[in-house]
Amino acid sequence: MNFTYHNKRISGILTVVPAQERAFVEEMRNFNFPEARSLKLKEVMGYDKRRMVESGVCVSDLAVFGLQSLFDRGLLKKDEIDALLMVTVSPDYFTPPTSNIVQGRLGLKQDMLCLDINQACAGFVIGLMEAFMLLEQESVKKVVLINADVVSRKASPKDRNIYPLIGDAAAITILERDPNGSTIYANLKMDGSRADALKIPAGGCRLPSSPETAVMEDVGDNNLRAKDHLYMDGTAIFNFVQLEVPPMIESLLKTAGVPIESVDYFLCHQPNRFMLQKLADKMKVPHAKMPNNVVQHFGNSSGATIPTAITFNLAEQVKKGHVQACLAGFGGGLAWASMLVRLGELSFCEMLDYPNAQK
Amino acid sequence: MNDFFTKIAGILEVDAVTESDVLKAFPQWDSLSVLSVIAMLDADYQINLKAADFQQVKTVGELWALVQSKKA
Repeated sequence: MNFTYHNKRISGILTVVPAQERAFVEEMRNFNFPEARSLKLKEVMGYDKRRMVESGVCVSDLAVFGLQSLFDRGLLKKDEIDALLMVTVSPDYFTPPTSNIVQGRLGLKQDMLCLDINQACAGFVIGLMEAFMLLEQESVKKVVLINADVVSRKASPKDRNIYPLIGDAAAITILERDPNGSTIYANLKMDGSRADALKIPAGGCRLPSSPETAVMEDVGDNNLRAKDHLYMDGTAIFNFVQLEVPPMIESLLKTAGVPIESVDYFLCHQPNRFMLQKLADKMKVPHAKMPNNVVQHFGNSSGATIPTAITFNLAEQVKKGHVQACLAGFGGGLAWASMLVRLGELSFCEMLDYPNAQK
Repeated sequence: MNDFFTKIAGILEVDAVTESDVLKAFPQWDSLSVLSVIAMLDADYQINLKAADFQQVKTVGELWALVQSKKA
């Protein structure tokens, strides 16, 4: 389905990544595969370094750290936040919402909306869509969108399908009105019939965590994981992306009346380098227009990868000038969404390390 | 022999494969090779195979037959 938004803009992006860095070549010994094959995987997928929280660190910790930094430097004022959206699949608790936790820890005003959204890799685009809708209300002048996940805490260290690609991060995006803003186009599709392709089977009410769900099992592919861990059917996800994402973007650009050549950057969710190169090839887009280096440097942090791609690759461009950006998120749900938006004159666009605990 | 066999050999990192070669007998036949084959078939043959489709094929020749049946 299609959406349009008027007179709104993204005014700042901050990505917080844990300072702790892990290297693929050190971790690959944990996997039950020959070293040569793991090195081949590294080369093809673009695995190298990734950021991972230390034990006990939650998404609210990353979010509070990032927001506090913005307050301290005068880049955002507490009182101007009318809504705080937290998109995460790894919340601090079942309840209360992590957005309320963040609000409370920072002492934000009561006269605001806190809302958690359970979305994974499509979560940045879906979060933007929700934020733009809120900005239709007179009382909502500024929305803080947080895409934060610590999925490393739900990944099996002995699962080569998942562990080497996961990164943790929190991205904070500020959205506000802009009387001169150009029309923003978005579209979205969902398919819950394919929900099993990306799933943490245990830990919810359907299958509560127990000693049994913590047992590591080999399901026949030399990977060991428990039902408490995130499972991904990698080939199904690959097929899903190649099949669904190009027509979605084609339809978006057609609705907007914008030729594909006019898009400066395709800022896609970052599952791995391989998938993004194949996607660019299929869409006949030069690789340089579709950054694919987030997994290599930081890991795949679910809904935070698109802001990471922006803050890591395009910070100067979007602070000083404008780029015509096509955003695309796709993954768990399954859900896939894209957005055509002019990014520019951001008051901040940067990355920040969440420090390791003092020892 | 055709291009398909050359491409499979490339993915399996060997000089050549024959129709009777058993896929699982190659030490390089793992989830990465399966994904590489799926990506190659999508890009070069415009067909979408699932990982489950590979359960029914043992040899390179059977894989080629499956590709042709999907293409038909």
